[in-house]
Amino acid sequence: MSISPPALDIRGLTKTYDDGFEALKDFDLRVEDGSFFGLLGPNGAGKTTLISAVCNIIRVTGGSISLFGHDHQTLHARRMVGFSEQDVNLDRFLTVKETLIYHGGYFGLSRADAHRRANELMDIFDLAPKADTRAPKLSGGMRRRLLFARSLMHEPRLVILDEPTAGVDIELRAELWEYIRRLHGAGTTILLTTHYLEEAEELCDEIALIRAGKLIARDSAQGLRDKYDAANLTDVYLKAMAA
Amino acid sequence: MSVLPTKQTFGERSRPFRWLLERELLRIYKLWTQTIIAPVVSSFLFILVFGLSLGDRIKAIDGVTYDVYIVPGLIAMAMVQSSFSNSSTSVFQARFDRYIHDILAAPMRTWEINLGMALGGVLRGLTIGILLLLASLFVVDVPVREPGFLILAVLVLLVMFSFFGVVVGLYAESFDHHQFVNNIILLPLTFLGGVFYSVNSLSPIWEAVTHANPIFYLVQTVRYGFLGRSDVDPWLALGVTTVMAIVALVWSSYLFATGKRLKA
Repeated sequence: MSISPPALDIRGLTKTYDDGFEALKDFDLRVEDGSFFGLLGPNGAGKTTLISAVCNIIRVTGGSISLFGHDHQTLHARRMVGFSEQDVNLDRFLTVKETLIYHGGYFGLSRADAHRRANELMDIFDLAPKADTRAPKLSGGMRRRLLFARSLMHEPRLVILDEPTAGVDIELRAELWEYIRRLHGAGTTILLTTHYLEEAEELCDEIALIRAGKLIARDSAQGLRDKYDAANLTDVYLKAMAA
Repeated sequence: MSVLPTKQTFGERSRPFRWLLERELLRIYKLWTQTIIAPVVSSFLFILVFGLSLGDRIKAIDGVTYDVYIVPGLIAMAMVQSSFSNSSTSVFQARFDRYIHDILAAPMRTWEINLGMALGGVLRGLTIGILLLLASLFVVDVPVREPGFLILAVLVLLVMFSFFGVVVGLYAESFDHHQFVNNIILLPLTFLGGVFYSVNSLSPIWEAVTHANPIFYLVQTVRYGFLGRSDVDPWLALGVTTVMAIVALVWSSYLFATGKRLKA
């Protein structure tokens, strides 16, 4: 029986920025294939640094990152990751449909596949009426939908969502939750960072708490409540961060 | 979920690069009035004003009438500015809006990203050069005496300024930095690089100063390709410009390979 490699295996990851700030130090994390994993921590804890390192958009100082058994810098590994950033980072020259199609192209889709997949995702995320609208003219909610849809264009095995519901209304949050659940149900590994504790509790199989670039606890929501003798995840979070 | 093929054909491997190049061309196409028409019209006005209206009052240079003499330099100037501007603004905007993250995360080699972004500048510069030549043929009879040399000279020019534009786009912290390089460095060097005059008409001191201007050699290579005449040995000029193009290419490649100025 073959054992599938973890979706994400981080060993000894260290990141020191040019100004000397050490965001992560000897950080280890293993996320199993098919899991729904949440990362919680205050601003500056190192969550965005961690996922930026996984996605090759920052330089790492030390350590190793592997994705499904492949070094994260290899082209093969990169094709397996979809990333929806916390901040809106859309190409201002492209329309909604072009944003999706070109992203698909950057990740190796053929023209026909990119068009088919873009149409599919525009339908799912109600983006079709805005297909020919350029990103700067979209509302905040539509931009968030587009970012999410873009990260799924190439059908990645690991989807990394950095605060995907930050600043969105309740309806859209519920829609995104529903879609993320379906995605996970179809076998996609999800790595989610969020400040909404109820979001982590609702969605994640396992949650890790990060503070000052270090992993301080990881378990299921129930496991964390038991460990910290807390009634809910908010209490867990406050106790863990104060410790 | 997608099933990833273990072996890819060349066409599949190069697909991300081709999409990136297409995106660069789409940007040029969408902004065609600014990216193509404006530089062609402004350079053509130089030909009309300086060549046709003043040309009769200025004596022939090196046996070439003034209206013909200035056309190669003006074409070179337009190509320099457009190839530089294209690469620098495209790279700067990608960094500023952070959509470069989408490209950096994609399965593309660093040299492919560098080349894709620079080729936009090469193709825009070439398009402007060709359109300006065609427009100028309506008003002056510009010969192409050394076509092979001209192709080499134009290629070196476009490579140099497209990759230099990428470098500036990577270093720029604001849009003003890009404008500064374009308006305060490139434009004066181009005007003082012999576009409108022969350095042989300058005093020895100014002639020597002009020889320190790298754009001067570039103008000479393009002029030699068109007119078969230049103020210096054309092969020396081509050698100087080739070295500068290699420096720009290596500098840009180094920044992409190391991630400096590109990744935190």
